[in-house]
Amino acid sequence: MIAPSPFPLLSSIIFLPFLGAIAVGVVKNIDTAKKIAIVAASLELILTLLILFSFNNQNGDFQWQEKQQWIPSLHAEYLLGVDGISVLFLPMTALLTLITIVASWNNVQNLTRLHFALLLLLESVTLGVFTALDMLLFFLFWEATLPPIFFLIGLWGIGAQRRAAALKYTLYMLCGGVPLLFAIILLAINHAEHSGLGLAFSFPLLLKTAIPHDLQTLIFLLLVLGFAVKAPLAPFHTWLPTVAMEAPTQLTALLTGLKLGAFGLLRFAFPLAPNAAHQYGWIVALLGAITLVYAALIALQQTNLRQLLAYLSISHVGLVIVGIASLNTLAVQGAVFQLLNFSIIASCLMLIAGFIQQRLGSTELVHLGGLAKVVPRLTVFFFLFSLASIGMPLSSGFPAELLLIIGALKHHFGLGLSGLAGAVLGAAAILLFMRRAFWGNVIHAPIQAMHDLRQRELWVLSLPILFVILFGLCPSLILNITENSVQAWLFRLAY
Amino acid sequence: MDTLTSFIPILPFLAATTIGSLHLFGILEGERCEKTTARIANYAMGLSCLLALTLLAADLFGQNPDSVKIAHWLQVDDFSITLSLMTSGFSVKLATLFSVLLFIVTRFSINYLHREAGFHRFFFVLSLFSSAMLMLVLSANMVGTFIGWEIAGLCSYLLIAYMYDRPTAAHNATRVFITNRIGDAGFIAGISLSYFYLHSTNWLEISHFVSQLSEQEANLIAICFALAAFVKSAQLPFTPWVARAMEGPTPSSAIFYGAVMIHSGVYLLFLIRPILEHAPLVMALLASIGLLTAIYAYFVGLTQTDIKSSLIFATSGQLGLLFLECGLGFWQLAAWHLCAHAMVRAYQFLTAPSLLHNTHHNPIKPVHPFLANHSRFYTYALQRFWLEPAADWMLTKPLLCLAADLNYFDKQIVDRLMGSPAPTIRAISSLAAAEERKIGAHLDNSDDTFAQGSGLAGKLTQWTAALLSWFETRFVLRGVSKDAIDMGRRLGHIANRVEQNLLKPRYLVLFVFITLLVAF
Repeated sequence: MIAPSPFPLLSSIIFLPFLGAIAVGVVKNIDTAKKIAIVAASLELILTLLILFSFNNQNGDFQWQEKQQWIPSLHAEYLLGVDGISVLFLPMTALLTLITIVASWNNVQNLTRLHFALLLLLESVTLGVFTALDMLLFFLFWEATLPPIFFLIGLWGIGAQRRAAALKYTLYMLCGGVPLLFAIILLAINHAEHSGLGLAFSFPLLLKTAIPHDLQTLIFLLLVLGFAVKAPLAPFHTWLPTVAMEAPTQLTALLTGLKLGAFGLLRFAFPLAPNAAHQYGWIVALLGAITLVYAALIALQQTNLRQLLAYLSISHVGLVIVGIASLNTLAVQGAVFQLLNFSIIASCLMLIAGFIQQRLGSTELVHLGGLAKVVPRLTVFFFLFSLASIGMPLSSGFPAELLLIIGALKHHFGLGLSGLAGAVLGAAAILLFMRRAFWGNVIHAPIQAMHDLRQRELWVLSLPILFVILFGLCPSLILNITENSVQAWLFRLAY
Repeated sequence: MDTLTSFIPILPFLAATTIGSLHLFGILEGERCEKTTARIANYAMGLSCLLALTLLAADLFGQNPDSVKIAHWLQVDDFSITLSLMTSGFSVKLATLFSVLLFIVTRFSINYLHREAGFHRFFFVLSLFSSAMLMLVLSANMVGTFIGWEIAGLCSYLLIAYMYDRPTAAHNATRVFITNRIGDAGFIAGISLSYFYLHSTNWLEISHFVSQLSEQEANLIAICFALAAFVKSAQLPFTPWVARAMEGPTPSSAIFYGAVMIHSGVYLLFLIRPILEHAPLVMALLASIGLLTAIYAYFVGLTQTDIKSSLIFATSGQLGLLFLECGLGFWQLAAWHLCAHAMVRAYQFLTAPSLLHNTHHNPIKPVHPFLANHSRFYTYALQRFWLEPAADWMLTKPLLCLAADLNYFDKQIVDRLMGSPAPTIRAISSLAAAEERKIGAHLDNSDDTFAQGSGLAGKLTQWTAALLSWFETRFVLRGVSKDAIDMGRRLGHIANRVEQNLLKPRYLVLFVFITLLVAF
């Protein structure tokens, strides 16, 4: 059916950071450990780019497939593969991890090696989530993201209640995992009943299995529930603002960047239950629209930069979900594009918040004001990324948002209008904050002594901004890669 | 000629990126580099102006096609965007006029801003703005026009906030930008509707398909674009933003709000003229809003005492007349009016500072006799008819109140309902507590820790248990007592409060809005 790949490239991108993590943990010298971490992350980026460049755009099916027996009694396989929807997330994850590692180069003073090892471990399992095609394997990777995040929040958090935040995050995600697992088991049992060949967890196989309508509805709703917690969609979103306040900013940047929940909805929830998706897709669209406007409104009231960015990120996820649930080419293409975009933009904004936090010890509005005068470069970068996040032309946010809104308007007028309202409110939230934090007079003495961006930080931010502008000028670079897979995705949902 | 045409907007853009990136990395800095910056901006604008003149000449001799393609930008499904420029007709004439004005202002600013702190920043923004404006006027595609439209708005934000350390400047800039975003939303909606109904986003093609439109569809498309035009050209009820925009340096006021950018709203009407001619309702709306704005700006303008404010209200009034002309269908008149007004107003704004200087000792002009006789009306005009406070009261304040309510709801109700685990304070906080826990004695803890839960599931279990136990003790074991009556009364109070909250206007409006959305 599908030609197996000649070289296990996907396995190597999963295991390279894992080996890197072990090496970082074993080496005695901290400087060497850091260097190993950065080399591993850079190699990883090169490998993922290699996959991207050798990817065949014309083929909407899974490529670079690898298949091994894993648990024979359950028919669970070690099955990996990427298609046009997931392939772009690989270099993006690698890039985010790399810039996170560089950005937190000198920030971590205690347990430094463990910190970098956990970051690499997180990268490894995240890439697993993006490439796994066996539902059990996917679930394994999905849950395996929790321990590194739990320790990263709990051990290096900057808030006073970091332990509670770590616990809160983990409990939320575990609760979200239960419906997922339930749905996966239902899928496997249905396959056993239907085909008489026993259980199966392979995603391509499950796609072909017919599912009775009632069961489809149940599976769809369970999957949506599970992914909505991770996405996050209202009302399951409250973990993100808490984590943004308590967790180390580099980790928050990663968490807001890696939009696993929305990816899960796109990859599994809709294609596995196409009929139910048609019938109950409006629930998802409604949830998305509510999240979009609700979070943007709450963002207007935030006085802390990190919390503001967390709510804006939730609002953006809402927009993406609206796009996915609109079920037309424009909106889905826009949604995939926007997911990639916001991953970069939201993480970089969060990293800048981290730079401010590191310099002033706070991102609370009462401690800010007049930053533009003292740290012009930091301000310029923050401003550029905020513009990209509100969809200014010449940035990649613009084509993606345009496609999303037009697609949503095509599906339902109200959805498009909520998208437009969200665009106005989101811009208002971030610009009002900029006015109070960056413009105006310098009132507080500590701000006067603030350092502008250092060389290292400048490079960390320059690379993403170049991407943002490049994809804004030539959106076809991204859209061509996703096009055929999105068509195939929609074709599956068409009947 | 094709490639040369595309250089008209690209040259200033290149100048902007050069100045911007060199300034960001600290290469263009301080007074000694002023000359370099000025040269880059000036030459780029001059060349682009020359190209525009050539294009106009070629057009007058009838050498040009309707439009030239520059690049294929995006293609998804049947939604395809090819960036192309118009090379004949009103757009070229207007582009030439604007490029000449932009060139003059660039030259003027070199002397005017000499030794200003933000010299390089100013020229970066000015070049970017020139590029955006020429793109707006020349683009044959709606998306291209929108790109110029949005970037021009951004530049206006940056120049109003030119003195960003002045809180008023920052405040005004933010307010202007957010007001403009409303118009942008209208523009995007207009693009989408044209794609749905006309299957094209090209200005030149819409006239072919427009006959297929029903009147309702034509009205819908036209109203979306008209909203964008109202905001950009400061028509009622959006007029007040333009007075706030006077915060920027004088040359920028001249070019943005006197001569060039403010006219883009009217220009948009020219672009959608084929649709407007099928949309009589919107034409009537344009005429009436234009007339109202002209009257409004005339009276407010009479009471202004500083030169830039009176000029800007005069501009607003003239634009109102332009809208009126378009609404009545006098397109030719409107075109001439637009060009003449742009030139005169640019001159007036640029000479405003020296005019002020020359007339320094002149006596103050008496108040207009009509206003002098109607003192109450004078107050209204002086307060600009409270348009801005009204907008605040009707839109901004309820929205912020709603946001505050939602914020409270999110933190206090959603977060608690979804179950946040107990914070560290409630965990072991002292040695005594640890000791207490170790020996299993609950000295000061009245709650039974056995029935403590966290998270939604945990709390649900805990509450169900507590409720059942309460029910059991109060009702089953004791029968109906005074407690039950008290309880009922308390529930009634809570229901009353919820109802009172629901009757507040902002929630009513919200519900109506949601109902409308769903009904659509």
